[in-house]
Amino acid sequence: MMDATAIDEPEVTMSWQGVVRFLHKTPRAFLPMRSFPSLELVAGRGIEGDRYFAGQETGFYSHKPEEGRQVTLFEMETLEALQRDHKIELLPEEHRRNVTVEGVPLNHLVGRRFRLGEAIVEATRLSTPCRHIEEILGKSVFDPLINRSGLNCKIIAGGTLRVGDAVRPI
Amino acid sequence: MAKAIKTVSTVVSKVEDLGNDTKRFTLVDQDDWELPPFRAGAHMDVHLDQGLVRTYSLCNEPDDDRRYVIAVKREREGRGGSNFLHDRVEAGQPISVSLPRGGIALDQEGTNVFLAGGIGVTPFISAIRHLERRGRSNYVLHWTSRGRPVLTDMIAPAIGAGRVRLYDTTAQAKPVIAEIVGEFARCGLAACCGPAAMLKAFEDAVSAWPEKRKHIEMFTPPKAIARSDVPPYELYLSASQKLATVTPDVGLLGTLDALGVDVPVSCGGGICGACRTRWTEGPPIHRDRVLSPAERQNELIVCVGDCAGQRLVLDL
Repeated sequence: MMDATAIDEPEVTMSWQGVVRFLHKTPRAFLPMRSFPSLELVAGRGIEGDRYFAGQETGFYSHKPEEGRQVTLFEMETLEALQRDHKIELLPEEHRRNVTVEGVPLNHLVGRRFRLGEAIVEATRLSTPCRHIEEILGKSVFDPLINRSGLNCKIIAGGTLRVGDAVRPI
Repeated sequence: MAKAIKTVSTVVSKVEDLGNDTKRFTLVDQDDWELPPFRAGAHMDVHLDQGLVRTYSLCNEPDDDRRYVIAVKREREGRGGSNFLHDRVEAGQPISVSLPRGGIALDQEGTNVFLAGGIGVTPFISAIRHLERRGRSNYVLHWTSRGRPVLTDMIAPAIGAGRVRLYDTTAQAKPVIAEIVGEFARCGLAACCGPAAMLKAFEDAVSAWPEKRKHIEMFTPPKAIARSDVPPYELYLSASQKLATVTPDVGLLGTLDALGVDVPVSCGGGICGACRTRWTEGPPIHRDRVLSPAERQNELIVCVGDCAGQRLVLDL
C-alpha cells in the first residue's frame, strides 16, 4: 500500500474568477422579475426591494424562512446548456434567481464565502428547481434544472452589486 | 409560521359603470409592477370573499402588462360573484387573483372569425387589441347584444375600420352562425363565446372542422401540478383523524391541501424531500427521487405520491 504522506501533492486553491451578467428582483410572489443595473445587498437581510428581504417577506417561499434566500445566483452556462441540450430558451429574467453569473462554479461553492462585487456572501446550499417555476413560465424546465438550479447565499457583508462586477474567491 | 402565498396580490385601481348592468374593473400591482403574463383571450380566477372564487376573461391584451382588465355583467339570479363585484368592490381595495391561463391560439395568416354574445365578447376584445397592436387586420367580429353594447371603447379602431358587425337583437334578427363560419370552412380560425344556444349553433356549424381551427371559449380549471393517474382511493390521516377520497383530477397533494393539512411542500416535484411523511397502510406509489428503498418502507414523498391500493393511511 502506498504511503499517501509520501506524495508531494500541490495545494488545492480556488482559481476561478467570474462576472455578474444580469441582476433581477421582484417585490412579490408570482410577479415577473425586473432587470436592474445594480442591486443593494444588505448584510443579514437580503436585497432591498426583493420579495425575500428579511422583515418584509412577500415571496412564494416566505412562509419557510431561510437565510440562504437573501441572495440567489444562477449560471449563464446553464441557460446555454438548456438551449443546447434541451432546446429550451430560458431567459435570465425567467429563472427567478437574483444574480446571473458567468464563469463561477456555483455547485462547488456550498459552505464557502466569496466576493460578489463589493459584497461578501456565504453559500448555504444548492437551489432546487420547483414546480412553481413551471407554473409561472409554462416551460418544462424542472427536470433539466436538477443539480444546476443555482445557489442560495446569505449576505455576510453588504454593498452595491453592479452588472459587470467581478465574482471571485476570498 | 406565515401562510403560503398562493395568489397574485392586486389592487383595484378603477371601477367603471358601463351601463347595461356591466362594470369594468382594472386591477394593478400596488407598486405598478408588471403582472404575470397572459395570452390573448386568457382568463383567471378572482378570489372575492370567503371562498367565493369566480373566473373572468381578461379584456386587455398581453402587451398591456401592468394591469388586468375584466368586465362583469351583473347576474341578479346568479351564484353571487357578479353581485359581489358590483355591490362590494371599489377602487382601492386589494383583490387576489390566480395566474392567468388559457387563451386563443390565433391564426397568424388566415382570418380569425369571432362570434360573441353579449358580455361573451371579452376574450375577443383581448384578441382584437392584440392583433391591432401588431398592425394585423385578419379578423372579423360578429357580436350580438341586447340593446347598446358595452366595451366598444376598447375596440373603437376595429369598429371604425368595419371589422366588427354589431347585431342589436332587440331590433334585428340574430345572425345565422352556420352562414358566417361557412365562408371560412377551408382556412382560418373560428371562435365563439356566448349563451348556450349560441355555443350549440356554433358547435353544430363547425363539427367537421379540425380541432385546431375552432375555439369554444370555456373556462378551464387550473392545471394540476402533480395530477394523479390512478383510480380513486381513500385517504385517512391517522393523527388528525381526517378522511377523504383522492380523485385523479385533484391528486394526493390537492386533497391534503383541501383538508387544510399543512404539509411542508417545497419543490413540488419529488426531489427535495421536504414533504416526506410516514405511512402505515397502502401500499403507496413512490415517484420521488429522494427516498432509499428502505425509507420507502415507511415514508412517502407526498407531493408526487399516490396509493396502489384502495386505502392510504398517513401519519398526519
